[in-house]
Amino acid sequence: MKLNRRVFVGTGMAAATSLSAPMVHAASHGKPKVVVVGGGAGGATAARYIAKDSAGEIDVTLIEPSRSYYTCFFSNLYIGGFRELDSIAHSYGTLASDYGINVVHDWATGVDRDARTVALAGGGSVPYDRLILSPGIDFVEGSVPGWDVSAQNAMPHAYKGGSQTELLKAQIMAMPEGGTYVMVAPPNPYRCPPGPYERVSMVAHVLKANNPSAKIIIADPKANFSKQGLFEEGWQKHYPGMITRIGPDFGGENVSVDPEAMTVDIDGEVINADVVNVIPAQKAGLICGAAGLTEGNWAPVSGHTMQSRMDENIHILGDATNQGDMPKSGFSANSQAKVAAMAVRGALTGSRVFPAKFSNTCWSLIDTDNGVKVGATYEATDEKIAKVDGFVSQTGEDAALRKATYEESIGWYQGITSDMFG
Amino acid sequence: MTKNTGMYASVLGGAALVLGVAYGWTARDYRGEELETLSETLRQLEARNATLAAQIAESDGLEGRIEELEASLAAALQAVEDAQLAAAPPETAAEAAAAESQDTTEVVQTVALEFGDPARGEEVFGQCRSCHQIGQGAEDRIGPHLNGIFGRRAGMHDGFRYSDDMAMMGADGLTWELETLNAYLENPKALVSRTRMNFAGLKDPQDRADILAYLRQFSASPQNIPEAAPTAQAREVELSPEVLQLVGDTDYGEYLASECKTCHQQDGSDQGIPSITQWPTEDFVVAMHAYKRKIRPHPVMQMMANRLSDEEIAALAAYFAQLE
Ligand SMILES: Cc1cc2nc3c(=O)[nH]c(=O)nc-3n(C[C@H](O)[C@H](O)[C@H](O)COP(=O)(O)OP(=O)(O)OC[C@H]3O[C@@H](n4cnc5c(N)ncnc54)[C@H](O)[C@@H]3O)c2cc1C
Repeated sequence: MKLNRRVFVGTGMAAATSLSAPMVHAASHGKPKVVVVGGGAGGATAARYIAKDSAGEIDVTLIEPSRSYYTCFFSNLYIGGFRELDSIAHSYGTLASDYGINVVHDWATGVDRDARTVALAGGGSVPYDRLILSPGIDFVEGSVPGWDVSAQNAMPHAYKGGSQTELLKAQIMAMPEGGTYVMVAPPNPYRCPPGPYERVSMVAHVLKANNPSAKIIIADPKANFSKQGLFEEGWQKHYPGMITRIGPDFGGENVSVDPEAMTVDIDGEVINADVVNVIPAQKAGLICGAAGLTEGNWAPVSGHTMQSRMDENIHILGDATNQGDMPKSGFSANSQAKVAAMAVRGALTGSRVFPAKFSNTCWSLIDTDNGVKVGATYEATDEKIAKVDGFVSQTGEDAALRKATYEESIGWYQGITSDMFG
Repeated sequence: MTKNTGMYASVLGGAALVLGVAYGWTARDYRGEELETLSETLRQLEARNATLAAQIAESDGLEGRIEELEASLAAALQAVEDAQLAAAPPETAAEAAAAESQDTTEVVQTVALEFGDPARGEEVFGQCRSCHQIGQGAEDRIGPHLNGIFGRRAGMHDGFRYSDDMAMMGADGLTWELETLNAYLENPKALVSRTRMNFAGLKDPQDRADILAYLRQFSASPQNIPEAAPTAQAREVELSPEVLQLVGDTDYGEYLASECKTCHQQDGSDQGIPSITQWPTEDFVVAMHAYKRKIRPHPVMQMMANRLSDEEIAALAAYFAQLE
């Protein structure tokens, strides 16, 4: 990583001085070109910041198959009836019209790292000086025996935004009286550590109103989970008797499903379920593997710049990365995108580069006006992105604070989505 | 009239607090059954107080009734304490009696003297009187009345319209105690950025100590002030002129600010999360240092401010001040 050393002379304010740019872009094609694959929390933010801050000096192309991005964040609130689906959909219109980003609605199918081009499913390829990949997650095959993506209509994961979320909600609303919802929770690491448990809270919230004798079962391979004390306190208070969690000590890691029979086998005990929400084990979005940038399930990156440890012309963001201590969240992906955008501009146009700083806060809703949060700050070391400081909501907080926390999450949602899409 | 009722409700609240505190404090050593009986007594007393409060709110002879109510509350409190003492096993009774004999009023007086001089505080309070009333019959005016201010949650005294910022600080958990009041009096904007309280602050620590000693006489439950220990040290946001005069690097500020913008919207929207665009530089600097020193509540902001150097805070302030 020669580039790293060149860009980051020392630490602290010393690095915050102007650097003479390496100017790596090919002389033949005028303006330096940045291609971003994936228009989610990481990719949309990175594209917007590079376009905005380079003021026309860099040519930015964003490749994203969907015309609307449905956020996974707040998708649980849609399930709980706190948000309309429309309110969590975002278009790429402003990025194109106000920021001059070239938005291409297509899949990237491969990367030629020597020629520095990205191949598109619709044919043709796009050249880059710097490539940014933020493709989110895909699922590890065979991680829940009996389930594969062809079963996702019978047993939705709802762990990518949009139609899956809608399907899961429809199934929950159609549950027979006193029916059973089973969640197969994922092993670490996975996107949004509190996500499955916020989802259970929101499912319980709708069932309590519409189907109060229904049951919720979580089969969980993890001994502990994010904000556990807060969720368990909330479940006890708002949904007593409705939720059962089967952890690994009772066979929660030994689960298989039968999508046709709609049964879940938890350590030999077969449960007939009405809704089965399978959240499988996860890995980096497929394009990372296809480009040869993964080690195990994830793509290793340097925290200083978010550059791939395997190719210094490629930066990888968000859920797909193995970066160190940050949780896989929209907030994290957005935070990493800003560091990458700064590094890319520094490399391509010689703009000033400052030491990387990261942060994350995840809010979760347990019931009406009962919000909790967990957060931390991070900095880059040579090995990884390392946690500096953190906090988590406390059990027993009063109602005013919990309500303020929930309202803050609404403000955050507004903030991050305008930070991504302009 | 409505204001009056609000104020009495707050006196009631204070008295109920006394009951709660005394109860919690003495009852700690008792066994379950006795505790249950006592809680039942307490519940009945609280119910009675609520009824009385309702009657009083309707009645015309407010002054007389409130005194009656206070007397009845005092008697009720005494009854609970007596009951607790009677129910205590002998040695605990002796201990409780011993604790009782160093009576709270005495303790508080000693502390108050060490912390400040209430008589002088009354004089200093003169400059507050045009907006704040205190004492018997005090009502909300330009500012809220200050009876029972210790232990009161910021921005949550019924019937008074607070600035959005004050209400938010209250929701975030700001409670008026010795140290928070001290910080607020020193520099109101350090604690509550856009407070309506149009007051530059009391820079002299002795003035603040005295005024706090004075205010405390009008709070119902002085033993409930944890900071009242003789060793209490008030935290303050005292920024050196060098820190206040640092000129921020707006380029660096712009990068640092990208972190803020995940939550704080650049266009100034402030639903759930306040706007920080176009803040005066000094207010920004003081506010961030108040978070950094954990005088302002709010875990996210304390954490974010905690890792910022003086230069970085100056850079952010400079950037946000010029942002359109
Ligand atoms: C139920 C749930 C709740 C959540 N709640 C929160 C929360 O409250 N707060 C929070 O911070 N995070 C939350 N998250 C996590 C958050 O959604 C993710 O961490 C975040 O979206 C990751 O951003 P990303 O850029 O890595 O991926 P994504 O946002 O998933 O974006 C990836 C994009 O890449 C596109 N893509 C993939 N492959 C290709 C390809 N080959 N070619 C072109 N485009 C491609 C996809 O279409 C997608 O739009 C939640 C997640 C879930 C599932």
